[in-house]
Amino acid sequence: MDQLIVSLMNGIVYGLLLFMVSAGLTLIFGMMGVLNFAHASFYMLGAYFAYSLQGVIGFWPAVIASPLLVGVIGVVVERFFLRRVHHHGHAHELLLTFGLSFIIAESIKLFFGNFPVDYRIPAALDVPAFSLGGAQYPAYRLVMGGIAIAMFVAIYLLLTRTRVGIVVRSAIYKPRMAEALGHNVPLVFMGVFGVGAALAGLAGAVAGAFYTTNPNMALELGVMVFVVVVVGGLGSLGGAMLASLLIGVITSLAVGIDRSLADLLALFGASDWARGVGGLLTLKVSSLSATIPFALMLLILLVRPGGLMGEKG
Amino acid sequence: MRPAIVSLRALALAATGAALLAALPFLLTQGLLNAAIQMLIAALFASAYNLLCGQAGMLSFGHAAYFGVGAFGTVHAMNAVGGAGLLPTPLLPLAGAACGLVFGAIAGWFATQRSGTYFAMITLAIAELVHSLAPHLKGLFGGEAGVSTMRMPAWGLDFGSTLQVYYLTLAWVLVSVGLLYLYTRTPLGRLTFGLRENSHRLRFLGYNVHGLGMLVFALSAMFAGIAGSLQVVSNESANYVVFDPALSAAVVLNTYIGGVKVFLGPALGAALMTFFGYAVSDLTQSWLLYQGILFVLVMMFMPSGLAGLGGTTARLRQRFDLARIVPLVALSVGAALLLSLGGTFAIEMLQRVFSQDYRAMARLQPAGAWPPLQFLGRAWLPAAFATWAVPAALLASGAWLAHLARQRLRALADAESASAAGANAHPSTRLAAHPGGTA
Amino acid sequence: MHTLATFPSAMACTLGLLCFGASAAPVKIGVLETLSGPQASSGQAYRTAVRFAVDQINAAGGWNGEPVQLLEYDNQGGPAGAADKLKAAAADGVQLIVQGASSAIGGQITEDVRKHNLRNPGKEIIYINVGAEALELTGEKCNFHHFRFSGDAQIRTKALVSAMKQANALGTRVYAINQNYSWGQDMERAISDNAAAGGYQVVEKTLHDVNKVQDFAPYVAKISASKADSVLTGNWSNDLLLLMKASKSAGLKVRFGTVFLDQPGNLANAGDLAVGHFVAHTFNAEAGGAEGERFVNEYKAKTGHAPAFIEPQTVFGMAMVADALKRTRPEGGVLNVNALARAIETAKIKTPMGEMSMRAADHQVQMPIVVSTVSKDARYKADDTDMGFKPVKRFSAEEASTPAQSSCAMKRPA
Repeated sequence: MDQLIVSLMNGIVYGLLLFMVSAGLTLIFGMMGVLNFAHASFYMLGAYFAYSLQGVIGFWPAVIASPLLVGVIGVVVERFFLRRVHHHGHAHELLLTFGLSFIIAESIKLFFGNFPVDYRIPAALDVPAFSLGGAQYPAYRLVMGGIAIAMFVAIYLLLTRTRVGIVVRSAIYKPRMAEALGHNVPLVFMGVFGVGAALAGLAGAVAGAFYTTNPNMALELGVMVFVVVVVGGLGSLGGAMLASLLIGVITSLAVGIDRSLADLLALFGASDWARGVGGLLTLKVSSLSATIPFALMLLILLVRPGGLMGEKG
Repeated sequence: MRPAIVSLRALALAATGAALLAALPFLLTQGLLNAAIQMLIAALFASAYNLLCGQAGMLSFGHAAYFGVGAFGTVHAMNAVGGAGLLPTPLLPLAGAACGLVFGAIAGWFATQRSGTYFAMITLAIAELVHSLAPHLKGLFGGEAGVSTMRMPAWGLDFGSTLQVYYLTLAWVLVSVGLLYLYTRTPLGRLTFGLRENSHRLRFLGYNVHGLGMLVFALSAMFAGIAGSLQVVSNESANYVVFDPALSAAVVLNTYIGGVKVFLGPALGAALMTFFGYAVSDLTQSWLLYQGILFVLVMMFMPSGLAGLGGTTARLRQRFDLARIVPLVALSVGAALLLSLGGTFAIEMLQRVFSQDYRAMARLQPAGAWPPLQFLGRAWLPAAFATWAVPAALLASGAWLAHLARQRLRALADAESASAAGANAHPSTRLAAHPGGTA
Repeated sequence: MHTLATFPSAMACTLGLLCFGASAAPVKIGVLETLSGPQASSGQAYRTAVRFAVDQINAAGGWNGEPVQLLEYDNQGGPAGAADKLKAAAADGVQLIVQGASSAIGGQITEDVRKHNLRNPGKEIIYINVGAEALELTGEKCNFHHFRFSGDAQIRTKALVSAMKQANALGTRVYAINQNYSWGQDMERAISDNAAAGGYQVVEKTLHDVNKVQDFAPYVAKISASKADSVLTGNWSNDLLLLMKASKSAGLKVRFGTVFLDQPGNLANAGDLAVGHFVAHTFNAEAGGAEGERFVNEYKAKTGHAPAFIEPQTVFGMAMVADALKRTRPEGGVLNVNALARAIETAKIKTPMGEMSMRAADHQVQMPIVVSTVSKDARYKADDTDMGFKPVKRFSAEEASTPAQSSCAMKRPA
């Protein structure tokens, strides 16, 4: 029972981390129709900026300053790169962001080297929060979860209760009309892109200390973020939260399940036949924990392509 | 008189191209010949991809899956049949074609139910699913060492030398690309364009759009499978890293860099980028950075790709005479050259200064003197003015030439619109419609 | 960069050969590594070590009066790229291919070398494997022209278990967690095989996806539920680091026995949580005495950093090749690769760690293994931290050796 609770909590925290990174991506897609391949690179930049600033201004100021820097980079990318190729179509924008992700990753390798860097949680935070089932639960995980939830609440309130939020939502829904009414829609686009990038940067600054900070961070997280955005619904913030939690919990719980399809078939007495066939049938669910999100993504795309909370059809 | 299926000009072009490619082994060294084989395979893969992406308008993100399926199908066929009986070595790509076709039909049936971004996401999901499952299915995919095989002699040839493999690959690539071209001239090929332009209308005209989409997907996957099997015939092994999303992304990039609107554009883009990777990877450690910069620059400044560049120049020639064009082209080429030289220099210098080993050496030196950097066979001192002045000068002069080129283009366009306004009594049928230039 | 200097000179040499026929031809060594992309860090380390070793060979006079040439090839991160560059190297006249960063690429290279040698008698290539530790390379894929100069799962685990048992750090309940590919599976089998000798019971075995798992907390939960005393793992890079970090944050008190803890960046990133854990590796300067210190200083002066992780085994392996080269006479001014291979089979050198020799049956080097523990009073600190590797036990080549695999049926040339 305790193990289950620990696994659930770990899954939720991991899911919240995924949410921090994918929130920006889903907003950007909902607004501009651009699937930003460089989004995971913003995550990595956040971690590296925080690492560089940590020695100069301390941990918490670095965690606050680093997303701002990444946000500025996001604004620059939108204004000088994406806007140029916008009228050529979605494919060009996509490929441009893909090329940018290469450039960012390689530049980081150029300046910081190929090995992981020494970005660690400050000792004051590296303490256990409570004990559960004989193991300790680190306080920093709760801090990460708390930051993610605060972020979700802040963005939700911003979008639904403030004037700026109304303008942003109308620019997502009907950009021409919003422009005709006199709002500066290109500025809104730039702002949303910048804020999305800053959110990913915040996730990187916070998570990079807990996990490792290395030049392959973007690759490791990159595809999972896409799965989250698709499963949740392109453009839906609530969907992104739901999907991240779902995927985080499934991945975490799957590791504990050492059964395979052959064991399931044993209920029908077909276990020996299944073991004889081998291959897919004898693969343990725990070894497949990284594959399950893709199967989920495919299922959602075929059955309900709008995602869990996106538009229908 | 009905127009010919294939124009005389296209035939002549194809024949010249084929002859040139056939003569390549006598012009290249052994190492470059092998690179040529990889370039041909990449060109075929990109052309197969363009059938789906450029002609049918369906952007797929997981095309490496069909390449890989073709590759593994062939490697298992090679191990099972041993290059004899029904499937001698030269006919092995048929196994890849069959596997690609079948798997492409199944995947295509699912994928073409949706369109646009959702279609792309489905193809990505399928490819990623195969990619994550492959390491676990050892019997089929052979673990991380892959499945290994050996080419067997057939038809009097032993297929042991690179030369024979080159001619085999060339023959298959020419036949496949030829078939792909002929496809575009058939009614079905025209319908494929219709899919891209307006699939709604096709539906109203009574065509089964889903079936059509699935067919095009399957055909594209079939030719991708042929490309995969050619790689297996050349490398004699197949590894599940072929399902990596990086390969799917590479084919999309190669296609767009070459230009989707021209039939041979993707082949050109793929050949160039493969050669770039092959040649530059041994010259410098930051070659991936250069590749990324190249992608971004092409997407921003040459949206119709390299083949589109040829079209642009042709249109310019139609509007203005040669004497006006030549200096413009020279300025542009000069600007590009200087900017790339300056950029490369700066990046290489930065890479050396920031490398771990250099920083460690610098720390070991007494009194904070920085040791010199090795580049192009000379030693450059990082603190010296000259080391940074050279790239700065190259970049500045390149930027200045680019500015001059743009000025000239604008002047030409202004002169043209002025003369057109002054002479609108003469209907000019050959003026292109872009007064602002095409760069 | 080295390649920019050697590529034109390599071309010049090839052209020169064509012009001057069968005059003295220098030995060409090619390092075919992952020099770019996600796994570049290990490939670049191998390249540095090979450069150092070749410089040493040339400082001692080269071969047949000519300096040995080093050419570098980037396999662009995968087996397909490695196959391409191997063909390019063969076209450039390379006679020895050195590689170590990945067992997958090692598997590709050994097969390609075998096929090349079958098809081109008289122009053979030798594959010097300085780091690909998959068991099958000296098992079912063993090949007369392949020589492995590093350990493998069986060798490392045997030493690790023996030393940890002696230091009373093993306990009776051992958890085996490894990566789900050939290396991890080899390690898992080795850990089970050594259970009797180590006096422990393997309470649970887990295989996880390679380099995909970010959150090891679920695995740590399993380890803690199994009440294991120690964890033996063959994980490397992120997988090892994240596993250790996750167990520290969960407050799990187990001893880790690893084989790749000395990878650069691990200690810096892990911090104090690494103290007390064990690693079975091929070199520890402190255990090498004055010789070890001399080697470290020489290496540092040339490359800017102390030799770490796979660099010492690469240098020692190349030293064995150098020893074999010295005993191989030129035939018509050129190197007879098969004669060199036979000389490598009988190579024997003395290193700061002890004596190293080659076993002719499966071409697996017999090398000393050191088991160390991370400690603050190690003599040589790693990664600019205050911790280093303190040797616990040094095993000579005989003690560390494991029997040749029965699946190796080596075909020897006449």
